[in-house]
Amino acid sequence: MAPPEEAGGGEFPVGMKVLVVDDDPTCLAVLKQMLVQCRYDATTCSQSTRALSMLRENRRGFDVIISDVHMPDMDGFRLLELVGLEMDLPVIMMSADSRTDIVMKGIKHGACDYLIKPVRMEELKNIWQHVVRKKFSGNKEHEHSGSLDDTDRNRPANNDNEYASSINDGADDSWKSQKKKRDKEEDDSELESGDPSNSSKKPRVVWSVELHQQFVNAVNHLGIDKAVPKKILELMNVPGLTRENVASHLQKFRLYLKRIAQHHAGITNPYCTPASSAQVASLGGLDFQALAASGQIPPQALAALQDELLGRTTTSMVLPGRDQSSLRLAAVKGNKPQGEREIAFGQPIFKCQNNSYGAFPQSSPTVGRLPSFSAWPNNKLGMADSTSTLGNVNNSQNSNIVLHELQQQPDTMLSGTLHALDVKPSGIAMPSQSLNTFPASEGLSPNQSGFLTTIPPSMKPEPALPNSQQSNNLLGGIDLINQASTSQPFSNSHGGNLPGLMNHNSNVMPSQGISNFQTGNIPYLVNNSSIGVGSKPPGVLKTESTDSLNQSFGYICGSSPMDSGLLSSQPRNAQFGFLQSPNDVTGGWSLQNVDNYRNTIGPSHPVSSSSSFQSSNVALGKLPDQGRGKNLGFVGKGTCIPNRFAVDEVESPTNSLSHSIGSSGDIPDIFGFSGQM
Amino acid sequence: MDYSNLRRQIIFMKKSFFDQGYLDEQFNQLEELQDESSPNFVEEVVALFLKDSPRLLINIEQAIEKYPQDFYRLDSLVHQLKGSASSIGAVRMKNECSVLKAHGNDKNLEGCRRSLQKMKREHATLKQKLESYFQLLRQVGPRNSAVNSRK
Repeated sequence: MAPPEEAGGGEFPVGMKVLVVDDDPTCLAVLKQMLVQCRYDATTCSQSTRALSMLRENRRGFDVIISDVHMPDMDGFRLLELVGLEMDLPVIMMSADSRTDIVMKGIKHGACDYLIKPVRMEELKNIWQHVVRKKFSGNKEHEHSGSLDDTDRNRPANNDNEYASSINDGADDSWKSQKKKRDKEEDDSELESGDPSNSSKKPRVVWSVELHQQFVNAVNHLGIDKAVPKKILELMNVPGLTRENVASHLQKFRLYLKRIAQHHAGITNPYCTPASSAQVASLGGLDFQALAASGQIPPQALAALQDELLGRTTTSMVLPGRDQSSLRLAAVKGNKPQGEREIAFGQPIFKCQNNSYGAFPQSSPTVGRLPSFSAWPNNKLGMADSTSTLGNVNNSQNSNIVLHELQQQPDTMLSGTLHALDVKPSGIAMPSQSLNTFPASEGLSPNQSGFLTTIPPSMKPEPALPNSQQSNNLLGGIDLINQASTSQPFSNSHGGNLPGLMNHNSNVMPSQGISNFQTGNIPYLVNNSSIGVGSKPPGVLKTESTDSLNQSFGYICGSSPMDSGLLSSQPRNAQFGFLQSPNDVTGGWSLQNVDNYRNTIGPSHPVSSSSSFQSSNVALGKLPDQGRGKNLGFVGKGTCIPNRFAVDEVESPTNSLSHSIGSSGDIPDIFGFSGQM
Repeated sequence: MDYSNLRRQIIFMKKSFFDQGYLDEQFNQLEELQDESSPNFVEEVVALFLKDSPRLLINIEQAIEKYPQDFYRLDSLVHQLKGSASSIGAVRMKNECSVLKAHGNDKNLEGCRRSLQKMKREHATLKQKLESYFQLLRQVGPRNSAVNSRK
C-alpha cells in the first residue's frame, strides 16, 4: 500500500485525476479504493450522463476516464466516443466481458486500454501511462513544424505507443485499426456526417467560426512561422481537438493565406491608401471568406466583417459595409460550392491596432475576393445558401469597396474607436469583453450573436472601445476591427455572425448572423453544445483567445457558447458592431446598406427603411435569406463537432434571438437594433 | 477476549473460504486495500455487494419468469452480477453467472432456472459466511482485522 504520507501533491502520476464510471456500486467502491491507493485523485460516478456533464463542465478536471462497458443509461462505447471527441481524454474501458470481439470494439472506439474485471491493482497502477502517452504524442508534433508530413510520421509512432498498451486479451492488431482510423481522420477534415454508429473513427472536427477564430488567434499569437500544430492546439485548448485536426487545418490555412496574398496583390485599392487598406482588405477578405466559406457566417456577417476589416469607417466607402461584405461573401461563397464552407480566415484579422496582420504575410488582396479557403468543412449552417445569393450579387463591387474601406482608414477605423457598437469602422468592434461568451449560437441576441459569434470574447481587442465592450461579445471580432485596422472584423465574429462585425455599419446583419449562430445552426456550437470543441463554456474559448483575440484572425467560429447573456448585457449599440455612430457614415450607409442589403441580401428581416443607420443595421442584422429566417448562415455554429454531439442546447436558446432577428425588426432591443444603435 | 484465539478462528475461517472456493484472490486484493484511512473497507464493500445483489437476483428471476422472456435483458443483468461478484472475489457466484449466461444464450429456460436457484443458494451461503467472518473481525478490533488474519 502506498504510504499515506505523500498523498496527492507531488509529481505525476500522483494526484492524477481519474473519473470512474460504472453502474455497479460494488465495483465502483473497489476501484475507487484502488485508485486512492495508487495515489490518484479518484472521482466515481454511476451514470454516464452525469459523468459526461461533469466532464463538460470541467474539461480539465480529469486526466483519464475509466468506464464500464455495460451501463444502463448510455453505452460505454458511446461515452467513450463522446469523451474522445469532445475532450480528447484517454478513456479506459472495463468489463467483466473478456470476449475478444468486445475488446476489439473498445479499441476501435478509441479506448486507450481495456481492463477485464475484476480489475487488479497492478493494472490500475499503470494507467498513468495512457495520460502521458497522449500528451507526448502531442509533444512530438510540436517538434516538427506542423506540416502534415510530420503528422503522418508521428502518427504511426503514436499509434504504436498508444495502442500497443496492455490490453487484456486485446487483439494484437487493435492498434492497427486505430491507426487506420486516425489516418482517416487526419486526411479528412471535412465535417463528417456525424454518424454515431460509425464507431470506427472519431467524428471530424468541424471548423466553426469560433473554432477557426481560436485557431487564428493561436496562430497569430505564435506567429505564422512558428505556429506548429501542437502549440496551436495547446493555445486553443479545445477539448476534443486533436493535433492532426489542427495540422491539417493549418495547412489549409497557409494555403489560404497564400491565396489571399495573391488576391490582394491583384486588387487595387481604388480608394485608398495603401498598405493598411490592403491589409485590411485582405484580412477582411480573409475573414469573410473564411466565414463565408465555412458557410457559417452568414453572408451578411461576412460583409460586415469585411467592412470592418476595411475599416470602413464612416466614409463613403460605400458599400455599406454590408453590401460589401455580402458581396464579398458572395464572392467568396459564390465560388464555392455550397457545401463547402470554409472559413477563410487567413490572418489574424484581429490583430488590431497595428494591423498586426502579421499573420498574414500580406494582406493582400483578397479583399474583394476572398479566396475560398476551404479549410473549413461546411457546416451545416445555411450560410452556404445565403451566401451564394449574396455573393452573386456584388462580388466585385464589394471587394473593391471593402478594399477601399480598408484602405481608407484602416487605422483610424479600427483603432480607436472601436466602440463597440459605435460602428466605427470596425463597427463590429464589439467591445471585446463581451465576446467572451459568445455562445455560439445560443443566446446571442440577434445582434449579439452575430457579433459575438464571430468574435470570441477574448478576441476583443482591447481597443479603445469603451463600451463596445459588451457588444464585443457579439462581434468579438469586431472589436478587433477597430483596433487593428479593421482587419479584424470578422474574424472576431464568432459564430460567424460577424455580420455584425461589419464595422461601420454593418451590423450586417448581425442579427442574422447571430441568429444563425445562435440557433443551433451551428451544429457544433462551440460553446453551447457540449460538443467537444469548445464545449467549454465560453470562457474556454475566451481565455484562450483573449490574448489572441486581438490578433485573432477572422476567426469567426462561434466560439464556445456565446453567452447570450453577455450579449444581452451589452449595450445595444455595441452589439453587433452596429455602427454605433449613426452619424458616421452610418447614416449614409445605413441607407445604403439597407438598400444594398436588402437587395443583395434579402434580409429576412424586413429592412426597415428607416433612415437611421441602425435600422439598416438591423436589417443587416438579418442575414440575408439564408437565414431562413433565423439563422443566417451563421457560420460556425457548432461546426466543430458533428451534430450528433451537439448537445441539444445548441438549438435552443438562440432561437428566440434568431427569430427576433429574422423577424425583421423584431430584433430585440439588446442589440439595439431597433432602429437605433 | 482471547484475541489470539479469535484471530486463529478468523484465519481459519478465511482459509476455508478459499479452500472451498467461495472466495478468490480478489478478496485478498481488497484486504490489501484496507488501511488506516479505510479501516473497514472490505466489510463495507462486501456489505455493498450483499445489499445490491439481491436486487439483481430478483431482476434476473423476473427476466426468466416473465413471458415472453427477455434474454437480452437477462444477459445484461447476469453480466452485471458477474462483474459485481468478481469485484469482491466471490468466485462461486461468478462462475455460476457464467453458467447462467450460457443457458440464457441458449435460451434454455430450464437451465436458467436451475442456475438461478443455485445462484441464490450460493448467495445465501456466501452472505452468511462473510457476515460471521466480519463479526469475528470486529471482535478483535479494527487494527487486527484483515492484515493479521492473513498471517
